[in-house]
Amino acid sequence: MSLERASATRPRLFGGRRLGELVPIIVLAPSLIASFIYVFVFSIWTLYIAMSNSSLLPSYGFVGLSNFESLWANRRWNIAYTNLFFFSGFYIVGSMLVGLLLAILIDQKVRGESVWRTIFLYPLAVSFIVTGTVWSWLYNPVDGIQALVRSFGWTDFSFALASDRNYAIWAIIITGIWQSSGFAMALFLAGLRSVDGDIIRAAQIDGASTFRTYRKVILPSIAPIFLAVAVVQIQFAIKTFDLVVALTRGGPGVSTTFPAIYVYDLMFQRGQIGEGAAAAIMMLAALAVVLVPYSLFLVWRRNKEVRNG
Amino acid sequence: MADIALSRVEDHEAVRASRRRGWTRAVIYGLLTVFALIYVIPLLVVVFNAFRAQPEIARNGLIAFPQSFQPDAWVAAWDNYCIGGTCQGMKRYFYNSLLMTIPATIISTLLGAMNGYILSKWRFKGSDVLFTCMLLGVFMPGQIALMPWAFILGKVGLSNSVYGLVLIHVVQGISFTTLFCRNYYVSIPDDLIKAARIDGAGFWRIFFKIILPLSPPILIVTVIWQFTGIWNEYLFGVVFTSGTQQPITAALVALTASGTTASAYDVMSAAVLIGAIPPLLVYFLGGKYFVRGLTQGAIK
Amino acid sequence: MTFRMKAVSCTGIITFALLTGTAFAEPKTLMLHQWATGSDAAAIAKLGEMFEEAGGTWEQTAIAGHTANTLAKLRADVISGNAPAAVQLKGPEIAEWNETGMTANLDDLAAEEGWEDTVAPELLPVMKPEGSWVAAPMNIHRINWLWGSPAVMEEAGVAEMPKTWAEFNEACDKVVAIGKICLSHSTADWTDSTVFEVVVYGMDIDLYRQAFVEGDVDALRSDGMIAALEQFRKMTSEYMDPGMVGRDWDTMSHLVGNGEAAFHIMGDWTIGLLTAGGFEQGTDYVCAQAPTDWGQPGFILNADSVVFFQQNDPDYVEGQQLLASTILSPEFQTIFNQAKGSIPARLDVDLSEGFNPCQQIAQADLQASIDAGTLVRSMAHNMTIPQAQRGAIMDMVTEFVSVADMSAEEAANAMADAVEAQM
Repeated sequence: MSLERASATRPRLFGGRRLGELVPIIVLAPSLIASFIYVFVFSIWTLYIAMSNSSLLPSYGFVGLSNFESLWANRRWNIAYTNLFFFSGFYIVGSMLVGLLLAILIDQKVRGESVWRTIFLYPLAVSFIVTGTVWSWLYNPVDGIQALVRSFGWTDFSFALASDRNYAIWAIIITGIWQSSGFAMALFLAGLRSVDGDIIRAAQIDGASTFRTYRKVILPSIAPIFLAVAVVQIQFAIKTFDLVVALTRGGPGVSTTFPAIYVYDLMFQRGQIGEGAAAAIMMLAALAVVLVPYSLFLVWRRNKEVRNG
Repeated sequence: MADIALSRVEDHEAVRASRRRGWTRAVIYGLLTVFALIYVIPLLVVVFNAFRAQPEIARNGLIAFPQSFQPDAWVAAWDNYCIGGTCQGMKRYFYNSLLMTIPATIISTLLGAMNGYILSKWRFKGSDVLFTCMLLGVFMPGQIALMPWAFILGKVGLSNSVYGLVLIHVVQGISFTTLFCRNYYVSIPDDLIKAARIDGAGFWRIFFKIILPLSPPILIVTVIWQFTGIWNEYLFGVVFTSGTQQPITAALVALTASGTTASAYDVMSAAVLIGAIPPLLVYFLGGKYFVRGLTQGAIK
Repeated sequence: MTFRMKAVSCTGIITFALLTGTAFAEPKTLMLHQWATGSDAAAIAKLGEMFEEAGGTWEQTAIAGHTANTLAKLRADVISGNAPAAVQLKGPEIAEWNETGMTANLDDLAAEEGWEDTVAPELLPVMKPEGSWVAAPMNIHRINWLWGSPAVMEEAGVAEMPKTWAEFNEACDKVVAIGKICLSHSTADWTDSTVFEVVVYGMDIDLYRQAFVEGDVDALRSDGMIAALEQFRKMTSEYMDPGMVGRDWDTMSHLVGNGEAAFHIMGDWTIGLLTAGGFEQGTDYVCAQAPTDWGQPGFILNADSVVFFQQNDPDYVEGQQLLASTILSPEFQTIFNQAKGSIPARLDVDLSEGFNPCQQIAQADLQASIDAGTLVRSMAHNMTIPQAQRGAIMDMVTEFVSVADMSAEEAANAMADAVEAQM
């Protein structure tokens, strides 16, 4: 009581807000500060280290861009960076397509929906270490699927994706899709369920086939979900680390090296913290290519929402 | 023109509709079954191997139906297999993981709920920009954060402890939980809040009396997400704990990364399953709500 | 008890005890290492037992898998201000960490126990990078072993283990002709590099020293290196089987034991793997020095060692002295190396009982190669050049194995370029 009276008589603090209205900001502050440190301070520190002469431990002698020069002169890094884009493209599109297909199938009022859903969703619950280990058994030419099929009599059968340097990346893509398409399915299914039933009925009354209804009516109305799925998958793709470590360990040769593995190797195993940090900055740059437009889009959409009331 | 052609086709289709429906159902179930097999077989391979004896695996390969069911590998994996020099199986690591995952999940979910509530219902100038900045945390690669975290944990005296890991997972998890909750709360009508405020309800009262009772679907989504994510994380677990405090993923890596002895696929399989059980349980129990929670707005 | 007495009598401790007034510190240690499974873990468990018997409190963090995990943990601990009391570190890393000024000095203990006279001389520059002891060596591994299957050799008509690379190729041609695998392998950067360094060493020991010990770029580009790469290409494309990709490295030696492959080139830890697989020396497998073209005993050496970081807690300081003393004791060197397949880092340990015949040969060959001046340290196992250069070479070697149409010349140049970029 006394506090309120005091604030009413005094000139208003904090740009005219009552103390009570500061509660949200005070509650939010710790999370904000923590996130700010996590995102910005960590990134800026890494950027500085990338331009320092750090080797075994972080140190702060400025050397400019030389770490970036030696980074880009490195064959393994170039392979890793190319892999990131190649993998991301097929992995994201692949898991979206599979996820969408599964969601549409389940959406056809199938029996035992929860069973199907659980089956497709469970890989997401399992760690990449587990997934990678199991799939590396399946891909193993001596013990895995190839040996199994050959033992049935098809002796020419060849399925050794992970051990052929030209195809090993596909082993990772396939396993990645297997792991995460269930999540895409869940999001798409959620989207399909949220589509206004009246629009669908209207289309059906017009005599549109199921396929046509999906293509012309339902899918366009869940367009934002494609974006949401893509963003979630992109962050999985760029962070790809555990899966590759467990599946191919970057091999054969260095054919399946990924930026995250390169960063880890340089910063932690080889004691080249400066160049490792430079590689990390390049990872962030790849992220920015995706994220800056996305953030702008979000802000734009929010403004539009506000304008439209 | 096109319309006429189309309607003629549709006439034909109406005639064959009933026969086609049968076919369509068969195709739907057929496709679902094919995919289900692809999804289930890797799990079955591990489950089978966990019950097969190592000599049998060595003889018949990794993919085969068990000739007899042996529970020995499970006992060994849980109780007395030697990992990291101590022969106590997975149980100690399992307990460590629970000790880390449960508090981190609860704290990050609660913080996410409050942040989401503020960012959707108590917007202030610049709150959208702040939200977007918090969102960026979702994308930070762990390898970048490793060294700064080491420094911070050392400064606050939490290095080599489970609490340090809890702190890391809470901070890294806030972005996700806030994102989920904010998007969900946006769909709660503002009128509800306005009415409550007119009745004199303050910040906390609205949160506890209106927002939280409406939250279970989204809280289940965030709990599932956080629980599985934290349980399965291994990089920080390996680096920021030592000795008897390491989480289960560290033990799994120790087991699956080939040591200098012949791989014990039976024990490895059982251990892998033990390590996967808690997140699987969470999914199996909460899977229904997961999709429902997403449906109700987590994905806006 | 004797160890404890020794440790307490150590001058450093006494000075410390006088200064702080702590008369009876409880020796404790926390050791960070990567021997998490199997015979390695059993061997290190022995160290813990002996440490505890000597009155210490033993704690360990075993981090399996990639060495990067162990080093990441070490860096994280150092950055957070909690450097571990004892860490398994080796080769040039000892020198690198020594330069940070954070490692503990073991000179007093070494002088008291006479390490200088008992430890293999080739290890001294590694353990004393700037003249002071900062690491305690645990063992000596021999890299240049050739493991053979008597059954396959007999079937193919190979009378004895090949002594030169020409003999090796001849033997392999015979083995391939009867449809068996000649050289059992599992490809990975370190396994590929292990075989490759054995080839280089066997063909031209001077080239090995220039390229892999001194990191000389011109040597990496030289004709000798190209010739070695051509021999290596012959081995990977003709004598190894396609199953080498994706095979678990810990089962590759079993192909020799099973009689599926004639030969296998790998370090002495293979003994542990073969023993674990139930194979007998003499009947299931035999061992011989890997081929050399210069007709003398040769030895590529790798050693595991423990480095100690400075501690504030007197319990841990005392624990370090006790641990170092335990590691260098003949008892530990015997037990540890019997389990691991390697030979003691001390030259004065008798191997006549409880050791595998291959280990006895290794000890004799070590002395012989010291006398002949042919002993070298292993590049593939991180005993020579810095990690950055070693990593660049290993990346290229494993690339060479997996890219079948990369020419030897191309690989030699790429290897030299990659190392040059890291200088």
